[in-house]
Amino acid sequence: MDVVLLFAMVIGLLLIGVPIAVSLGLSSIIFLLVFSDTSLASIAQSFYQGMAGHYTLLAIPFFILASSFMSTGGVARRIIRFSIALVGHLPGGLAIAGVVACMMFAALSGSSPATVVAIGSIVIAGMRQVGYSRDFAAGVICNAGTLGILIPPSIVMVVYASATDVSVGRMFLAGVIPGLLAGLMLMSAIYIIAVKRDLPRGEWLGWGEVWASARDAGWGLFLVIIILGGIYGGIFTPTEAAAVAAVYAFVIACFVYRDMGPLKHEPESVAAPYVQPSGERSIGAAEAPSQLGNNYTLMQKPWALVTAFVHRDVRDTLFEAAKLTVTLMFIIANALILKHVLTDEQIPQEIAGAMLNAGFGAVMFLVMVNVILLIGGQFMEPSGLIVIVAPLVFPIAIELGVDPIHLGIIMVVNMEIGMITPPVGLNLFVTSGVAGMPMMKVVRAALPFLCVLLVFLVLVTYVPWLSTFLPTLFMGPELITN
Amino acid sequence: MSGSSRSGLGRAVNAFEETAIAVILGLMTLVTFANVVLRYGFNETLIWGLEVTLILFAWLVIFGVSYCVKITAHLGVDALINVVPSRPRRMLAVLSGLICCAYAFLMLKGAWDYWAPFAALQPTEGRWFPLGFAEGVRDRAFYVTDQVPMLGIFRWLEPTINYGESYEKLPRVIPYAILPVGAALLLFRFVQATVDVVRGRRESLIVSHEAEDAVADAARANREE
Amino acid sequence: QEAGEECSDGEIVVKFSHVTNADRHPKGIAASLLAERVNDEMDGTMCVQVFPNSTLYNDDQVLEAMLQGDVQLAAPSLSKFETFTKQFRLFDLPFMFKNIDAVDAFQNSEAGAEMKDSMQRRGLQGLEFWHNGMKQFSANVPLETPEDAAGLKFRVQPSDVLVAQMEALDASPQPMAFSEVYGALQTGVVDGQENTWSNIYGQKFFEVQDGVTETNHGVLDYLVVASVDWLDSLDQDVRDQFTTILSEVTQTRNSESAAVNQEAKQAIIDAGGTVRTLSPEQRQQWVDAMKPVWSEFESDVGAENIEAAQDINASS
Ligand code: NA
Ligand code: NA
Repeated sequence: MDVVLLFAMVIGLLLIGVPIAVSLGLSSIIFLLVFSDTSLASIAQSFYQGMAGHYTLLAIPFFILASSFMSTGGVARRIIRFSIALVGHLPGGLAIAGVVACMMFAALSGSSPATVVAIGSIVIAGMRQVGYSRDFAAGVICNAGTLGILIPPSIVMVVYASATDVSVGRMFLAGVIPGLLAGLMLMSAIYIIAVKRDLPRGEWLGWGEVWASARDAGWGLFLVIIILGGIYGGIFTPTEAAAVAAVYAFVIACFVYRDMGPLKHEPESVAAPYVQPSGERSIGAAEAPSQLGNNYTLMQKPWALVTAFVHRDVRDTLFEAAKLTVTLMFIIANALILKHVLTDEQIPQEIAGAMLNAGFGAVMFLVMVNVILLIGGQFMEPSGLIVIVAPLVFPIAIELGVDPIHLGIIMVVNMEIGMITPPVGLNLFVTSGVAGMPMMKVVRAALPFLCVLLVFLVLVTYVPWLSTFLPTLFMGPELITN
Repeated sequence: MSGSSRSGLGRAVNAFEETAIAVILGLMTLVTFANVVLRYGFNETLIWGLEVTLILFAWLVIFGVSYCVKITAHLGVDALINVVPSRPRRMLAVLSGLICCAYAFLMLKGAWDYWAPFAALQPTEGRWFPLGFAEGVRDRAFYVTDQVPMLGIFRWLEPTINYGESYEKLPRVIPYAILPVGAALLLFRFVQATVDVVRGRRESLIVSHEAEDAVADAARANREE
Repeated sequence: QEAGEECSDGEIVVKFSHVTNADRHPKGIAASLLAERVNDEMDGTMCVQVFPNSTLYNDDQVLEAMLQGDVQLAAPSLSKFETFTKQFRLFDLPFMFKNIDAVDAFQNSEAGAEMKDSMQRRGLQGLEFWHNGMKQFSANVPLETPEDAAGLKFRVQPSDVLVAQMEALDASPQPMAFSEVYGALQTGVVDGQENTWSNIYGQKFFEVQDGVTETNHGVLDYLVVASVDWLDSLDQDVRDQFTTILSEVTQTRNSESAAVNQEAKQAIIDAGGTVRTLSPEQRQQWVDAMKPVWSEFESDVGAENIEAAQDINASS
């Protein structure tokens, strides 16, 4: 069949090292030139409309920008301090705190690798210093980092919502319970291992430290309130929420935390700005406030209100966020070209028809979706994969009575698992880099916790309530108007 | 990570590209934010705000892709090419460079064919290879955006392409112009990258994941400890 | 199943891209009916493939694609043609037509025929007008007088006339993608919107609004278009057979549109939605508030067209 050739070409190009976006785009162009009468100009139109015609996707650059300001602003360190204050005294405390910190950072950031880098680069080193093995530390963070795309906000959810026309707000709400559940399951697994192996625990630093660290991290965590409260409180659309979050993060980073921008005190030698683990205490209580003291206040430099907008740090953060946006959107736009070419040739209908004729039930269908995504996840960036797979499976899901929001969460959890399974797993790469470990060691280290996530996938697949309860509670029953 | 800019001109081009990319994203954020503030603070709205933001979004990506080729930021799968020996690996890198050039070339033809009628120019003949310019294709110079106001600096377009009729809104030829420009830049950068691979100045056209820079920073810091 | 139509070799493939569902929306039903009849009666000659739900193009891109020759049929709402000919602003002007019968009479008059031909120099040929129906206002507060709308945020289609219309009410017009509207009404990002009964029912807007006020203040219709070049490429007999089928489908569906909207209105009431009707005095207040918009656009739509519309209102 023509479509098999198409996908074979995509995979072939990927394997010889052609960029993902080009593999998708060129295969689509060739398919179009050979099998249809549609003009080459329509490819350019699709490319442009990939951005200009998708209001929902506009949330992506804004969420990336908010996350970049938050990472540069040293929020990760404050979140970790707060997490340690909360759970550091439990058996396996620092590991559990690492999971909590990943969950909190996930609520600020839309991407999993960003979560691993931000939390992992501090926590993994910290855990080793208090006596955890490097494998254990890497395994924990590698897995917990995947929550970046399940706990809202999430770039993958934005892409799913855009590809299927479900509401972004609903998807975000749907991720909350599964996200908390996955975090709890990981923490329980750590707790059990810690008790069995007698892993180190920290000291209880008292409610005073909990309060102080909460207040310090609060400015950053308030972003969650802005995003979720703003969307469900009817103040903004999800896209606007993302833009407001970006502006808020800029203000916090430049004027409150002052870890960047004109009010930051520049030390003589600038080496490794926010990674300074020199013993457990440095990632805990002592460090963050001491650094703060050196920064300027707005009273000292009131002109910073103006100069912040053109400060080099701000320009660099904007540029880094834009660069990531460009590389992701290049893939997504080309995946949309592929989707357009497939639709033009009526392929989704054919595949849907074939699958329905094969007599799959809802359960068999979901298993198949899981398998497709787990395999596809080996080659593709998650957002691009969603753009291609969602239009193929969505009509079938509706036909079989699968809730679109539930399907979306299943897809997201699949993406998470894809990130930590060999041979290709985004979080495996990132963890290997951050922890300085070879890939295969990370794979082995991640394995016990991967099992936890697999159990979690089964739970999420067979208990739709986990995904649909909150959206239904806050936004009423899902309606399918298409 | 910055491009291989040795000359002053190279640095200036780099600075221009990076700043342009940063400014576009900054503008998108500010326009969207301003609309929220106007809605709640003043019960007003910039009726063109949404459309302008979406146009900037397209500009950001279509302008930015070529720069990301230059700094090797596009994502790819390196699982296979990492395990083949270095000579065939180099061959594969050259091959994938040529494939990228083919993509950019076809995209450039498509972009021109799409944009030209909006500029009262002629698209090219030929299904995939341009065989000269077509004749008598009806122009679409009249076609304006939904809500973006006409800017005074583009008034010269009215006599030039719109038969002297005045534009009430910004004509689509302006936002769409990024397509041929972006595609041409993309082709240029892919050709440059392929030449670099052939000359051994560059290993491949891809990075394996989006966080490679950040991971490199973190790994460096961990080594220094 | 029309969407999955496999065309055989030698048939003229007609891609019909639209933005609604294929089986419940008036436009979707009409498109499906057209495809069914063409594929049946012109089997071996012509084959219509319908792409519903914006799967191929949205209303904005589809006309570009048509001029490019990538799609053959489309039926965007009339305000999408304002960039081609400003005359189409006539249909957006508030209280221009008394009811859908007046709209129908105007579209079938000489003036209506001229409008269909008015875009030929831009490369488009209007074929048939398809009705959705008359527009009503809904909001999260009761709307009885024009003052009730003042200060509220209304989602409108991006059209200068509709923006001016909301500003005439001292309301704030908000452009927004159609798919966003339900969520925005629900959470309160916008307070209200204007639409036909069948859209308000189909999109369940009434669930998240205080009520719907029967203003019949505007018209939401579609124009089936094809490119001049494509039509010229057809043999005369093929073209005739096709346009005959299209015109029969149009008559069938348009004659039902009033009933479809009445059913939708009743379904809203049955589902517990609030429907408010206006007394003649109240209605006159709305007319007085919004009609000044006409003068602003008179030169665009042509005084003779306004006159023709008013004559039809008076005579029917
Ligand atoms: Na997240
Ligand atoms: Na994987």
